[in-house]
Amino acid sequence: MRRERLRVIQSHAAFVVSTLTALFGIFWLVFIIGDILIHGIGALNIDLFIKDPAPAGVEGGGLRNAFVGHLMITLFATLIGVPVGVLGGTFLAEYARGKKIARFISILSDIMVSVPAIVVGTFVYAIIVKPLGHFSGWAGAVALAIIMIPVVLRTTEDMLSLVSWTVREAAFALGAPYYKVILQVVYRGAATGILTGILLSIARVTGEAAPLLFTSFNNSFFSTNMNEPIASLTVSIFQYAMGPYDSWHAQAWAAALMITVFILIITVLGRLIIKWRYKK
Amino acid sequence: MIFSKKKNPVDLTFSFITGIASVSVILITAGILYVLFKESSLSIERFGFFKFLTLVDWDPVKESFGAAAALYGTLITTVLALIIAIPVAVGIAIYVTEVAPNFLKGPVGIAIELLAAIPSIIYGMWGLFTLSPIMAKYIEPFLQRTVGKLPLVGILFEGTPLGIDFLTASMILGIMIIPFTASISRDAFNLTPAVVKESAYAVGATKWEVVKDIVLPYSKLGVFGGVAISLGRALGETMAVAFVLGNNNQITTSLFGAAATVTVKLANEFTEADKDIYLSSLYYLALLLFVMSFIVLAIAKFLLLKAERRYSR
Repeated sequence: MRRERLRVIQSHAAFVVSTLTALFGIFWLVFIIGDILIHGIGALNIDLFIKDPAPAGVEGGGLRNAFVGHLMITLFATLIGVPVGVLGGTFLAEYARGKKIARFISILSDIMVSVPAIVVGTFVYAIIVKPLGHFSGWAGAVALAIIMIPVVLRTTEDMLSLVSWTVREAAFALGAPYYKVILQVVYRGAATGILTGILLSIARVTGEAAPLLFTSFNNSFFSTNMNEPIASLTVSIFQYAMGPYDSWHAQAWAAALMITVFILIITVLGRLIIKWRYKK
Repeated sequence: MIFSKKKNPVDLTFSFITGIASVSVILITAGILYVLFKESSLSIERFGFFKFLTLVDWDPVKESFGAAAALYGTLITTVLALIIAIPVAVGIAIYVTEVAPNFLKGPVGIAIELLAAIPSIIYGMWGLFTLSPIMAKYIEPFLQRTVGKLPLVGILFEGTPLGIDFLTASMILGIMIIPFTASISRDAFNLTPAVVKESAYAVGATKWEVVKDIVLPYSKLGVFGGVAISLGRALGETMAVAFVLGNNNQITTSLFGAAATVTVKLANEFTEADKDIYLSSLYYLALLLFVMSFIVLAIAKFLLLKAERRYSR
């Protein structure tokens, strides 16, 4: 009976260790989010949203230009990336369903989802920034769109595949051409899922800094001209956090807080929607 | 296909448009490869392949560029991050699938996925302001006083601990990739058929023996796939390490030494490159990084597909 006891003790010990690792993971989450909350809330003030940066080293000022710039870059990236992604996903799940090319593109997209974002930045620098001769908001938007396309494409494909084939057959039986079936029946069935996917992809690109460093660059003045360099929150965080002034550090914390809260809310919302729609 | 016999013209147009949209992924991939190759051609001609890989120099004044230090930095941070992340991630996956009471499975899973949603720049900034001072003040001096005194491993802990070094950067990178590995391992564990587990219980196996002898061997491929994805991500991660590695072009054996990775070099020097050969060499680095991470991610995808095909029958 000794051996039995030993095995039971061993089993319990192993699970204590695995519980500890889970606590370890959650510890970092609490640590990081707590730290950002503490420093970020302390640094929040109304100037952050309504004033542009003060000259370097001067106290005060805000990040209005970066908030507006970030919003514009993300908006245009979404306008470019989402249609391409949704349509591409439609092709894979509908017209090319089961064909080799669909499988190939699907696998390639899965790989491209995780490809280094900074490489995308260098790519866009070569095809847009260099020929035009200057950094621009458009280049930033294109870089983010390139990161978005594979993400949206794969979610769309998955969500469309979840719509059962018999639903399509029912529509065919009524004499509907395929495009009508897709637009009016399949899209409707998968709408929640696709929208959630789009939301999550927006959350993902909102936090990207690396692809913006050499594309939209930075601008210490307020600008809404997408043809010029434009400020973004993430690039501002990088610049301010690495900079020497305490007032810069405080603003970097505040900007980090805004981005983190935005992303976490969207992510939680997305998960809740998926759970509510598909897990029942 | 069933409906392709009598094609409606609108249908043809729509299928054409969607087709182009999906081919864009191929165009982007091929475009990136082509552009990086073209832009780095100057440097490839000047330094060749093996010389560039082995040259430690990175000297814009003498126009002598080599990737050795940057690649070394990328390799060390990635390997250290994986050493930190894999045991924790697998432990978390075991906890979520086998140990946690049902009411905790959901929340813990969500917490881990939130950790994955936090952008890398936040990790980087947090590392610079919070983790790095803690490392410099407490953890690194402690390591120096204890394991640093041992023979052989002592060289790993030489130098003044400043907190801007390999160890801090790898810690942050490790924390960052824990959730990817954990969530893919969890999915792989869940693929183990309940019947097989139950039969092991029936012959008297303890819970741990079921995990060790049934679940882990069964989900090996999936876990390897998850590790490979994390490896691919860690290779290309920029902002999380850019803050705390110091962009110092040197090969050092000490974990307390400042260093550079391919990504950190790109982030810091790309917009400062004033000569064609300088920019071209940076593109050469980007090309190497792209090819490396693409291959690693392709292997990961292959492993995951194989795991799926084997067990989802």
